[in-house]
Order: sequence, then structure tokens, then C-alpha cells
Amino acid sequence: MAIAKAERLMNLALCLLGTRRPLSKRELRGSIEAYMEAGNDESFNRMFERDKDDLRELGLVIETVENLDGETGYLARRDSNRLPPVSLDAEEAAALGLAAKVWQQARLAGAASGALQKLRAGGMPEADNPFEGQHSAIEPRIPVHEAAFEPLMLACRDRRPVVFDYRKSTAARPETRQVEPWALECWRGHWYLAGHDRDRGAERVFRLSRITGRVRSRAGKYTADVPDVVTVRETVAAWAGESAERSALIRLRAGAGYPLRAKATAVREGSDGWDELEIPYGHGLDAWLVEFGPDVVVVEPADLRADVVDRLRAVAAG
Amino acid sequence: MAANAIDQTRRMLSLVTYLRERPGAHVADVARAFGITEDELISDLDVLPMCGTSFRGGDLLDIDTDGERIWWHNADASGESTAEPLRLAADEATALLVAARAVATLPGLRESDRDALLRATAKLEAAAGEAAGASSRLSVTFEAEGGVFADVDRAISERRRLWLRYYSPARDELTERTVDPIRLFAVGHTYMEGWCHLSEARRTFRLDRVAEIRLLDERSEPPAIEPRDLSVGLVQPAAEDPEVVVEVGPAGRWVAEYYPHDSAEELSDGGLRITLRSPDPASLRRLALRLGRDGRIVSPEGLADSARQAAREALAGYGETA
Repeated sequence: MAIAKAERLMNLALCLLGTRRPLSKRELRGSIEAYMEAGNDESFNRMFERDKDDLRELGLVIETVENLDGETGYLARRDSNRLPPVSLDAEEAAALGLAAKVWQQARLAGAASGALQKLRAGGMPEADNPFEGQHSAIEPRIPVHEAAFEPLMLACRDRRPVVFDYRKSTAARPETRQVEPWALECWRGHWYLAGHDRDRGAERVFRLSRITGRVRSRAGKYTADVPDVVTVRETVAAWAGESAERSALIRLRAGAGYPLRAKATAVREGSDGWDELEIPYGHGLDAWLVEFGPDVVVVEPADLRADVVDRLRAVAAG
Repeated sequence: MAANAIDQTRRMLSLVTYLRERPGAHVADVARAFGITEDELISDLDVLPMCGTSFRGGDLLDIDTDGERIWWHNADASGESTAEPLRLAADEATALLVAARAVATLPGLRESDRDALLRATAKLEAAAGEAAGASSRLSVTFEAEGGVFADVDRAISERRRLWLRYYSPARDELTERTVDPIRLFAVGHTYMEGWCHLSEARRTFRLDRVAEIRLLDERSEPPAIEPRDLSVGLVQPAAEDPEVVVEVGPAGRWVAEYYPHDSAEELSDGGLRITLRSPDPASLRRLALRLGRDGRIVSPEGLADSARQAAREALAGYGETA
């Protein structure tokens, strides 16, 4: 029976952590049963390289040292691999316990549990149940439904350029985009990417659910500077019409349109069964007002009134 | 065997450090401390005796268990390699830090919890060192209405019934209801799950649709129900719900992003023919109106008619005819 990968990785980690002098591939192959059974040199080499990468993903710093005979040796020094002392009290431990449950994405959920286990091995006190008594009864969850999330997260982390097909909200066909990814942000349950769009030579924000097909990595470095602060939310909020600079006056049937009332900057109750509201006028307001059908009439400005009438005509004719 | 060898390796490396300090540790305690099931722990304990610094030298980890307690007979022989926990990897630091920062910004969270999160975050950043760097490339914002959040939170901990004025977008109306709160959760927006006495059923309420809220002096007694699984979408249409077919042009493709649907068939003009199900198709009149020239309801015919009718009535308000 083939030896389980976790056993092989564990043995490699223990060998590299336990040695004071660099171990050659030959020595490692002689120490670890799974490598002895690996068959020919080529399959052993492939396996060994992959295993080293996996251990590095787990945070292990593996040094490569050439010895006098020109043979490459490997070791993981204790002082570059140890977790510095962290003294967390029970409250802080409970807070991190809550944070570790938040991810609904396999890679980050695994990483969060792994971090907590390292802290636990380092003496972090056991948390009391966060849902009892003195803590907020909140269960926060970070949803990740987009297939593009993981490759983009790794690309942002490693600063690797990517290429993907992207369909803008109003476009019939996807278009290939070459992007230097900067940061990912989740807002209202959806993920967005900010980065430098190489073809447009400018910063762009992408909604991950509109990426079609695979995200492919590109070799090479970034060509544009990465800003210190990347603001995704402001851009997306503007798309959502939340950066209104103008104001509109509408008539709203009494009792209807609570969300419009909640947004209104002024409300005048009328005696004819209609109220007058002033509301912020940003991108997309016309489409939103049309949802309320005969319960809303736009008074001004004229361009908004015309847009709403135009939309209503299209529905009436549909 | 664990499904993911990477996660299992990571866990076993911490486990040996943890067990080293605790000879005779109880299986149940260790499983709890590591947030895993006892079966997962036992499967780790099956692997560990195969691991060591040199297979040939025979210095494998001599760890065994009788199913209740765990003994490590040669902990000293493993030398320094297992004496201390390992530094945090970039993904580990990112996963915890991003989540902790996001939760700490939730409006309405108790100040003691917020303080604990911020203190823990600062300590973690210091301990992670360089590995914390990439965590700034990922961020999450939860939306919550702080006042409503705090009231629901208090009602849950004091086991009190709530009175709400709640907005239903499907009918554009506010209804008054009493609710026995069960839990508070955030998935993008923040929601309360509770037993609604108006509908005599479990309901999920989005906090930004609560127009008014009061804590009542009555005791909250929700029936014992299985909490819903937060890993699946919040809207789960039932198989028996009526079918609605919508055709949209390229500019209406967003409908497929916002509405859970059975199918979305590509149309030759770059649009989509979307088939979805709704327990209350009349509630989709809003969608039909919103789409304007970017799409139309194909069926049911009654829904398409009611949207046209609503548009004609609305046009009359402008002194226009269709």
C-alpha cells in the first residue's frame, strides 16, 4: 500500500527540523520510507520538490545550502521556524476562536484552524464557549462562491500577474484581461478584485462572479507601482449608486416604499394620500424607482423623470 | 484518513508539540483543544508512530493511545524538532487576521468582544512578523445596523421575545410581528434567524429591513429546530415552487448573479434565458419592472401581465399613456 502523503510530509518536516547540518537529497531518501519506495530518481525528485513546496506553504522556512562537495543540502533551522511567544488571555483566545470559524473557503478555513492549533501548541488558553453569556451571539461567515477566488488570492499574495476572461455587466461577450492583482475585497457577500489592467494602463475593479473560465498565471514582474492603500469598496459603492452628488424630489404613495423613506433626506407628508420625499440621486436610481411601479412619481429633476418614463414605456410595451 | 494531507500535516506538527508537554493527555480534551473530532485525532495518532527523524535509525515517535489517554514514551528522543510550535505561514496569518479585523468592525458588536479582537489582532500581527504582510491584500466588510444588532444580541442572551416592524420587499409593505430570536449571523449582510409568531414558522430577517425593534418582557421560547446550514445559499427554492422564466439581454445578465436559478441558457444576442422558482411569483413583479428594456418575463403569463399593468398605471401618474 502506498504511504499516505501526510506521513511522508511529516517525516520530511521532522528530518529537516531535527538536523543541525544540511541533509542531502540522498540522505533524506535513505531516511524516509516513502522516498525509498518512490521508484526511479525522476519520480523521487518530482515528489521531493512538491513536498518541499507543500511544507513551505505550511510556513516552514527550508534553507538550501551547498556543501564543499557541491552537493545541495536542506535544513529548517529552529530559530527561523519557531513561533515567537504569544501571550493571549482567555478573552483574546475566545475572540480568535470566533475568527477562525468565519471562512467558508476550504483553504483559508484550514489555514485558520492550523493557525489556532499552532497557538494552542504554544500555550494559548482554551476558550470558553463564545455563545454563552458575556459574548456577542454573532456567527459571522465569509462566503466564497467564486471559483476565481483562490487563484486570485494566491496571485495577490505572491504578486503574480494573471490573465482571465471577464464579462462586463452589460457586455454580450467576455473579453480577455491582463491584470496585475493588488487586493481582494468582500462587500455585501460578493468578492471584488482591484488591480492594474495592463491593456488599459489603469486601475480597474473586477467582480469575481463575472470572471469566466480559469485564472491563468503569467511569468514576470509587475510593471505598475502597487499603491499603499487600495480602495475597492468606494468604487463598488459608486457602481451601486451610493455616492450620490445630486438630489431628487419624488412623490410616494402613503405607506409604500419604506426603503425610499429610510434613505430620504426630507419627507413632507401630504393630505392627498401622497408624500413628498427628497432622496439622494446616484447611479441606478431610475431602475430602483421603477420597481415601485405606480406608487412613485418623479417630480424632478427632468432627466430622472425622463429616464423613469422611458423604462416604464419599455415594460408596458413588453 | 484526513481528506487533506496538508491540513493533517500542519495539525500533526502542532499536535506533537502539544502532547510533549502533556503526558497522558485525554483524547477528548486534545480533540477539543484542536477543534477536531476524536476520530480525526485517532487517525493522526495512527500516523505519528510511522514518523520520525530517521526511518532506518528506528527513532520513530513512540506515541500510543488506549482510546482514552495518549502516551508518548520517547518524547525526549525527538530532540528539539518538536519542542516549539512553528511560525505562522502567510495563509494562516491572513486567514485569522482578515477574519478578526472583519468581525471587529461589525457595528453593534459588544465593546468587550471588539477590544479582545483588537488586542488579539495586534499580538498576532507581532507574532506573525513578515507572514502578516500579505493579509492586507484581503479584506471583508460585514454590513450591520448597529442598534438593531445590539437589541437582537441582548434579546438572545436574555432569552426575551422581540417585537419588530419588518419590511418585506416582495410586497413593499411593513408588517408587525413578534419573534423568538434563535441566532444572529452575518454573511455579507447581517441576519436574525427566529421563530416568527405571525407566520408560525422559522424565518430569517435581514437587519437592514427592520424598521423598528423592541425587546418585550415575555420570555422567548423558540421550538427546538435544527439551525440552518450557513454554507449553502440563504434562498433555497423548493421543488414544488412555481417556475418563472425570464429572458434578459446582455445588460440584464446580472439577474443570474442575484437570483438562485435552475438554469441559465445562453441566447444568441448575448442574453440569457433564466429559469427560476419562487414560492410567490407575484413578488417578482419588481424584477420585471426593474429590467425595463433589458429583459422580460416569459412565464407565467399572469406575472408578465401584472408588470405591464403596473407600468401603464405608473405612466398615468406622469400624464402619459403607454
